Amino acid sequence: MEKNTNIVDSLESLQAKMSRMREAQKLFATYSQEKVDEIFRAAAIAANAQRIALAKMAVEETGMGVVEDKVIKNNYAAEYIYNAYKNVKTCGVIEEDKAFGYKVIAEPLGVIAAVIPTTNPTSTAIFKTLIALKTRNAIIISPHPRATKCTIEAARIVLEAAVKAGAPEEIIGWIDVPSMELSGEVMKEADCILATGGPGMVHAAYSSGKPALGVGAGNTPAIIDDTADILLAVNSIIHSKTFDNGMICASEQSVTIVKSVYNKVRAEFEKRGCYFLKGEELDKVRKTILINGALNAKIVGQSAYKIAQLAGVEVPKTAKILIGEVTSVEPSEEFAHEKLSPVLAMYKAEDFDDAIAKAERLVADGGYGHTSSLYVNPNEHEKLAKHQAAMKTCRILVNTPSSQGGIGDLYNFRLAPSLTLGCGSWGGNSVSDNVGIKHLLNYKKVAERRENMLWFKAPQKVYFKKGCMPVALDELKAYYDKKRCFVVTDRFLFENGYTKPIEDKLSEMGIQYTVFSDVQPDPTLANAKAGVEAMKSFKPDCMIAFGGGSAMDAGKIMWLLYEHPDAQFSDMSMRYIDIRKKIYTFPKMGEKVYFIAIPTSSGTGSEVTPFAVITDEKTGVKYPITDYELMPNMAIIDTDNMMTQPKGLTSASGIDAMTHALEAYASMMASDYTDGLAVKAMQEIFKWLPTAYEDGKNIEARNHMANASTMAGMAFANAFLGVCHSMAHKLGAYHHIPHGVANALLINYVLQYNAYEKPVKMGTFPQYDHPHTLERYAEAARACGVTGKNDKEVFDKFLEKLTELKHAVGIKDSIKDYNIDEESFLATLDEMTENAFDDQCTGANPRYPLMSEIKELYLMAYYGKDYYEPSEM
Amino acid sequence: MSRELISKTANKSIYRDGDKIYKEFVEGFPKDEVFNEAFINSRVEAILGQYVPKVLSVECIDGKWTMVREYIDGETLEELIKKNSDKKEEYLSQMLDLQLKLHNYQAPKLRQIKDKMKRQINELNGIDEGTRFDLLSKLAATPLHRKLCHGDFRPSNIIVDNDGNYHIIDWVHATKGNASADIARTYLILALSDQESADWYLKNFCERTKTSIDYVQNWLPLVAAAQLTKHREEEQALLERWTSICDYT
Repeated sequence: MEKNTNIVDSLESLQAKMSRMREAQKLFATYSQEKVDEIFRAAAIAANAQRIALAKMAVEETGMGVVEDKVIKNNYAAEYIYNAYKNVKTCGVIEEDKAFGYKVIAEPLGVIAAVIPTTNPTSTAIFKTLIALKTRNAIIISPHPRATKCTIEAARIVLEAAVKAGAPEEIIGWIDVPSMELSGEVMKEADCILATGGPGMVHAAYSSGKPALGVGAGNTPAIIDDTADILLAVNSIIHSKTFDNGMICASEQSVTIVKSVYNKVRAEFEKRGCYFLKGEELDKVRKTILINGALNAKIVGQSAYKIAQLAGVEVPKTAKILIGEVTSVEPSEEFAHEKLSPVLAMYKAEDFDDAIAKAERLVADGGYGHTSSLYVNPNEHEKLAKHQAAMKTCRILVNTPSSQGGIGDLYNFRLAPSLTLGCGSWGGNSVSDNVGIKHLLNYKKVAERRENMLWFKAPQKVYFKKGCMPVALDELKAYYDKKRCFVVTDRFLFENGYTKPIEDKLSEMGIQYTVFSDVQPDPTLANAKAGVEAMKSFKPDCMIAFGGGSAMDAGKIMWLLYEHPDAQFSDMSMRYIDIRKKIYTFPKMGEKVYFIAIPTSSGTGSEVTPFAVITDEKTGVKYPITDYELMPNMAIIDTDNMMTQPKGLTSASGIDAMTHALEAYASMMASDYTDGLAVKAMQEIFKWLPTAYEDGKNIEARNHMANASTMAGMAFANAFLGVCHSMAHKLGAYHHIPHGVANALLINYVLQYNAYEKPVKMGTFPQYDHPHTLERYAEAARACGVTGKNDKEVFDKFLEKLTELKHAVGIKDSIKDYNIDEESFLATLDEMTENAFDDQCTGANPRYPLMSEIKELYLMAYYGKDYYEPSEM
Repeated sequence: MSRELISKTANKSIYRDGDKIYKEFVEGFPKDEVFNEAFINSRVEAILGQYVPKVLSVECIDGKWTMVREYIDGETLEELIKKNSDKKEEYLSQMLDLQLKLHNYQAPKLRQIKDKMKRQINELNGIDEGTRFDLLSKLAATPLHRKLCHGDFRPSNIIVDNDGNYHIIDWVHATKGNASADIARTYLILALSDQESADWYLKNFCERTKTSIDYVQNWLPLVAAAQLTKHREEEQALLERWTSICDYT
């Protein structure tokens, strides 16, 4: 007779088999969901039809278990697996979210190696082959030598039905003559291993070098609390423990009973035909079940009667379970081990806590990660919680026979039906789930580029026009019915009577007020706290911050500290990439006090921004705080308050506003909404700043500058700034150059730096798709009336126009010109550079700066050099 | 020749001649086995020095391969235990000290104990394939260590000289591997004649080295299977029982 080349009995025949299976799987991977579901159904029907024949074969071949129970297991493996997964998508796109441009595509793993145990051979083979078919995998089975025939027969039945329904031939295979060598080879060559078996096999699977879903042994402890339904508890345990002669690995190995119901429980066990071992019988059984600490193979899956016979103990033929009443939960007690047979340890616990302690120890005796069980009144929430917290098991079953409960979908309906139960890292496994189809698929996630949602946020009310302040303040009474107003300002404004119109208006409306006039330039935390103390005694329901950037920032901080005294500035000033994803959640503002900002210069824009800076005078640390909660509720831009700005302030704050507009326009977060405001601000500042500077009494110029400053503020409140501000912040801090002047000295360099079209690094933001800042500046320049034959020429002329503006308002050419000592500048340069790099403003800059580049920019600005590109040096 | 016969088994006779021991194998005994023993002994000498009587030569005398080694004047621990049975535990304790000392040494050049056992289990006749499969899978999961293991560490292989120094002989089974495998092997040897000594030895090993007992017991089916290759009828029942354990769930 010709040798059947399909028989797998050697390395060569195995390798040949696996390469044919690989081909079959390639073809199978192209099958549609519809076709796969048809095959899955046909295979499940065929396996189910053979449930009795396979059960008989398994018992006959292995000499273990109970035919009638194996029929249930086979039936379960076919029916429950089919039912659980019949409508689940496993082919191609299984999930799609068009709005997010995201989808999930399911793909098979390839060829799966399946290790099948002797305890549940046919049912496990049915289970694994079915889930492999449903997921378009090929599966090769490595049976145990003691269960080869029945395991192969189960696989053959599933294969034949699958092929008949259209599956590729050899999509399921097996080793005909099993050996460790061939098992090892299968595991080495497969794409994934599904190992159900003893620690040895599972270890082999995990050390094969291939991904493995290996699952381990259990030592399920059951606890019966004194609140439990004893009838249900005892009969559930008997039902579970006798199922297939105790061979389900989730089966109870011990029962621990709270003392007060021990006798009742015991009597019920006895009444239902369990046998309590007496005196010497206990030792005889001990010596029989374990050999040198390991389970005696001869008792596995045998009846209680047969095990008693082996031990030389006389029990009735009908004895259901041999129960050993023992005390030790240590591994030296034979009964404390897993027994895979109708032999049960019984413990008496002092109380519920003692029962848990015993169960914990029993889990540690070889059942880590598997299953534990508790019988208790379901209303005993505290006991349930205690038990759940203590058990290091991946299944915790309540009032449930653990064999039938652990495998899922029989006595509970959310545990996945499975004959392969993961034990998690506690059990040295890769999964803690009941293994199912989700473990046999690769999930491709397709993610399309999407842009972030942007926003435009501004104070709820922005009032403007010369002379509008008293009209706007009317609302405090008429609309908000405020009673007590806290006014924050600086000494100069207060002492020179600039707050008088506010005070008069408040008095006229009958609103109590107090003025805190102690705001210092670059306000400190101590300064703000002094204000908060005043607020605490005054108990305002509204406040007005009146002044330049310092008064408005100090006002915001007082507002914050008054409403949330525990605010931590170090947390609030934490750097962020995206303001929406900041680690720190800002507290809700405005619940006690309504906040009005009234600027007296143009300007910082603070009246419409979510920013405030405060200095901790003890450490010298400046905290820039950003959150839209800090946005004033109302901003009042009244030119009457701005008519007496001195020249220096007009110049510095005017250029500051220009820088706000320029940086907001080039920011990666710039939008059409902020662009409009930024461009309008630039146009106005170019046109009116020189006049406002030269002729401070010119109302028209002051009007235009007031609005330009607030518009620029709104632009950067939403688009943010850039590296010019980062550098200006530090230049100001280290060398005491007024903020606006510092910006003026740096802005031309930064514009050229950002306009470079081959930056070493561009900024990271999905909206920012390529370095296009030159184009953007040219766009702004043209809007400001600059012309030229191309972007570069327009940009160059724009720079000249900016230089002219700065000259017109008395800005000098270099940092050096402001009498900053060269030696001290160079000494602080590296530190200043690193701090500027880390400034929050850097994040929105379109060019992501290297620290070395920032340093060069500082040097250029110090000496007033012509710009050179740092990366080309 | 003033050779004095010390012992004789089916395969070999041991003689003493002055300060030398002649281990003479029967005619037809495989030459490679003799050289192998001399070879392993030499490798262990390089590791353990003073504790190992040195191999001096391998010769063919009258067609019989003979390994010659240093003679040690003293008594074996087995003889001492027999003489002073009240001091049994003391001797066992000294034996354990000595075995633990061995395990402090790494023996990278020796064969791996797992490879040796795998070969033995594969060559074993008369066990069913299911048991072989379980034993091999159990073996595969054991740790891969490189400690010096004697492989036949028993009282009769330990000689105490007149100055009270210890000397260990019969290194033919030496391997590198997991110390618990070596202890399991000694436990088996002791248990075959005296279960009480075996239990004492295992318990004390575990206590002294803080090893859990099941870690050592895990090796027992494997060393029992390896011992089955010797086909000693009187040991058969115990060894078969020890190998009949379940390693699946």
